[in-house]
Amino acid sequence: MTQAESILVIGAGIAGMKASLMLAGPARKVYLVERLPIIGGKTIKNEESFPNMECSTCMVAPIQQAVLQNPHIETLTYSAVESIEGSAGDFSVSVRIKARYVSLEACIGCGMCFEVCPVTLPNEWEESLIEKKAIYVPCSGSLPNVPVIDSERCLKLNGTEECNLCVESCAFEAINLEDEDRLLELKVGALILATGSETFDLSALPGLGYGALPGVYSPMEFERLFASNGPTMGEITLRGSGAVPDRVAIVHCAGREEQGYCSGICCMYSFKFVRFLKHKLPDVQVFNIHSDVCVPGKNYEDFFRSVNGGDTEMLFTSSIADVHVSGTDSGLRVAYPDGGGVTADLEVDMVILAAAIIPAPLTARLAELAGVELDDSGFIRTSLDGSGSMETSRAGIFTAGTVEGPKDIQSTVIQAESAAGQVAFLMSSMADLTERDPSGKSVKS
Amino acid sequence: MSETGTGKTEMTARVGVYLCECGPNIAGKIDLDKVMADILSESDRYRNVELVIRRYGFLCSGPGKQYLEDEIKENGLTHLVVAACSPRDHDSTFMGVCARTDLNPYLYRIVNIREQCSWVITDPEEATERAATYIRGSISRVLRQSSLFEKPLEINPDAVVIGGGAAGMEAALALSSDLRRVFLVEKSASLGGGCGITMPQEKAVIEDPNVDIYLETQMSSVIGFLGNFEIGLKSADGKDEEITAGAIILAIGSDYSDPQESGRISFSESDEVHILAEAERTLEAAGDLKLRDGTMPETIAVVHCVGREEQGYCSGVCCSSSLKLAAAIRRLSPETAVTSVYRDLCLPGADGENVLRMARESGVELIRTKGTSLSGMELDLEKMDGTSEKRSFDMIIPAAAIVPAADTVSLAEMLRIPLDEHGFFKEAHRMTDPAGTTTEGVFIAGTAHGPMSVMSSMRFARACAGQVLTRLVPGERIVPEVKVTEILEAYCTGCGNCLDVCVYGAIYADTDRGISVVNEAVCRGCGNCFASCPSGALRTRHFTNEQIFREVDEALR
Repeated sequence: MTQAESILVIGAGIAGMKASLMLAGPARKVYLVERLPIIGGKTIKNEESFPNMECSTCMVAPIQQAVLQNPHIETLTYSAVESIEGSAGDFSVSVRIKARYVSLEACIGCGMCFEVCPVTLPNEWEESLIEKKAIYVPCSGSLPNVPVIDSERCLKLNGTEECNLCVESCAFEAINLEDEDRLLELKVGALILATGSETFDLSALPGLGYGALPGVYSPMEFERLFASNGPTMGEITLRGSGAVPDRVAIVHCAGREEQGYCSGICCMYSFKFVRFLKHKLPDVQVFNIHSDVCVPGKNYEDFFRSVNGGDTEMLFTSSIADVHVSGTDSGLRVAYPDGGGVTADLEVDMVILAAAIIPAPLTARLAELAGVELDDSGFIRTSLDGSGSMETSRAGIFTAGTVEGPKDIQSTVIQAESAAGQVAFLMSSMADLTERDPSGKSVKS
Repeated sequence: MSETGTGKTEMTARVGVYLCECGPNIAGKIDLDKVMADILSESDRYRNVELVIRRYGFLCSGPGKQYLEDEIKENGLTHLVVAACSPRDHDSTFMGVCARTDLNPYLYRIVNIREQCSWVITDPEEATERAATYIRGSISRVLRQSSLFEKPLEINPDAVVIGGGAAGMEAALALSSDLRRVFLVEKSASLGGGCGITMPQEKAVIEDPNVDIYLETQMSSVIGFLGNFEIGLKSADGKDEEITAGAIILAIGSDYSDPQESGRISFSESDEVHILAEAERTLEAAGDLKLRDGTMPETIAVVHCVGREEQGYCSGVCCSSSLKLAAAIRRLSPETAVTSVYRDLCLPGADGENVLRMARESGVELIRTKGTSLSGMELDLEKMDGTSEKRSFDMIIPAAAIVPAADTVSLAEMLRIPLDEHGFFKEAHRMTDPAGTTTEGVFIAGTAHGPMSVMSSMRFARACAGQVLTRLVPGERIVPEVKVTEILEAYCTGCGNCLDVCVYGAIYADTDRGISVVNEAVCRGCGNCFASCPSGALRTRHFTNEQIFREVDEALR
């Protein structure tokens, strides 16, 4: 197989996985590079996805399995792209496969090694709401279900002591503490960047109390709090006290003003949180403090209506920027200007902040490596010609999903399918790729 | 590895039963030797069957797969049962091993004695007994399985695009090449669709030698499946033509709701009320918006969200269109006062924010209300502070909702695809297959799918194109599902129950013979029809009653 028939997809979330599955086949090989030790992306952090309230794992796991079992996809987990040279049809990419210390072939995921590991550290994948061992899988249900060792914290690897407990515990001789990083040089014809996004850093909004007040949660923290494979096994209990919340306020648009755009999905995930709360705590009172309700498209208004009125009280504020959360003796107070501009107070014991979707911290670095332009918000720029093309400013490099801007799962999948189509088209017409027209198509000679 | 011998010798079927130890994961809990001995001790229960029962360390490992392959060949196995882990992990692994031998992969069965036994049952004795039960059931079942064979089909890579708007043209351009023709079928006399503006793709589509454009033409019939459709076209002057293609992309666009559907909006023909799409077209064509008497309006109100309540969804694009129009009017006629009346501003993304800024900077007055009523030319505004205000305007522009095009119903019937609760074409899966439909090879682009922006329409179009480009590769063949349903003609009474429940449109009535017939290339083996058949005439291959009942009998024995 020549480079013209190989493709590199960066990021194994739903966009990267879908694009890989569409492109992989007897005539085309796909390299799928993922920074984390597991594939699946952000979607698998959500127990249920709006608007169907479908089990996300049930939706994504078959896609993950299909990727891992596809003979035409080489999935490189715990790996990072280090350089991208060349041009459309002829890229050279170097990928660092970080030392995992556990064999993907030999390990069966029995978990004996983490039982014996003496080191505990925060589990960032679980928003640090729980700890993990120095040898770990991020969550139960991880795919591939093979742990990785944090080399900086492992006592043997960081030189603290001659601990060998995990190696001794493994019946499969799958752990090799001598493992080293490997560099892989790939020749590919095209790339798809699908590295996803992050949520707004809420500590930048001190008035909302995140970080200072334990009862104030980020959306991802709340997703994991609800997840049955999460830190509390799905019990919604308050950080610190362990009490069950009686009154919860969801504050919309956290970070919208700072970012300068509406992310378009936060209203929907906020209403999903209402469902989560009422599902597990039927007597809980939920308030949504909002300005504009943004539920675009044929699927979302129904969902909004299903929670509005019965399950939550919608409280309009004339200025989200002036919402203030403070601690009280018994819980939290949310002060907000109401429709008439008069400050209203709400006493609650839990606050969830609907944070904006922002570029992932590594997006700028990736754009630099790939030599592609970012837009004014820091997302990867596409459709420079306004045609809906998923090609970036550099020919042969495409993008899909939230690395291109905030969006829901449906739009993410649509972009992945678009990008896959454009790559397939490019591959089939590679021979006469001499001139390009603005629509991103090769010009036929 | 250990071996406990074989059963009788004069038999015809040779069933291999291989137990995977999975290190301590299975062998640490389940007494595999006891399982093997128990099953062998009853082997005379199976007539004309020879059992080969063995255990192995890791069957999924490289040496394990080779071992299994050698065992199948050396023992001349006619059936294979692998007792190991979840089929999710290794069903395909062991089917792959079978494929390297003469053993048909559909004469093999995996039994999950790890996730469903050793990992979840605490008592080793119970786990051992349960494992033996599951394996006995599978032996019973595998003996009733039949060989199935994949039948690759030649494909036609060409595509038919129905609708010549932004989505249809974009799909056509994304697909057309010297390797693939595109038939672009448009009902009206010109391309461009409902956008109200000249689309930049129009020239490229017309000049593209690989796009055949059919104007004033509609699809009149369709039969076939992914890779092989026969499509009848009928032109306005009555001419019929038949074309063949591998895929159909529905890009028929949408309509606007009637503002007066809402009980809060009433006006008469003579009132200066013009829906947003009309006003956009007039402004684009004439450069200004005049009243019917030819004078310029002094005040214009654009009313957002008209029809949202009745339709049950937010169209998601009207806020942006409304504010763009309001700003454009201000720019072209600065003496006209323009007011935008809204409930929520739905302006996702940086583009949305730019539109809002542009509207503010151009001096558009923005009024948020809890609700708005229109009577003639007078708006009744229910303000957020609880007060209300009545205001009259020279011109009122309601932003009507995007609703399904009139042709949606008839096309859905012709293609046997369902509609969603709002009357748009229903996608195969809202999230993981949003451009597909339940009929493989039929895709949905643009506002035929639901309200969306022009940019999203073009992205949907490119996603449809992506499906076609990656699935219908010129020169390659496709392999339809083999675990499909068959009809035992002798039992079929032609009642038609199965036709009604088939979501894939795979069953049709053979009226001459008075029976139903399954199109195996379209069937996906879901089993709906099987459950609906009152006379037991349907059988889903690999999931027959006989197979399931014998497995259950053994498990309950």
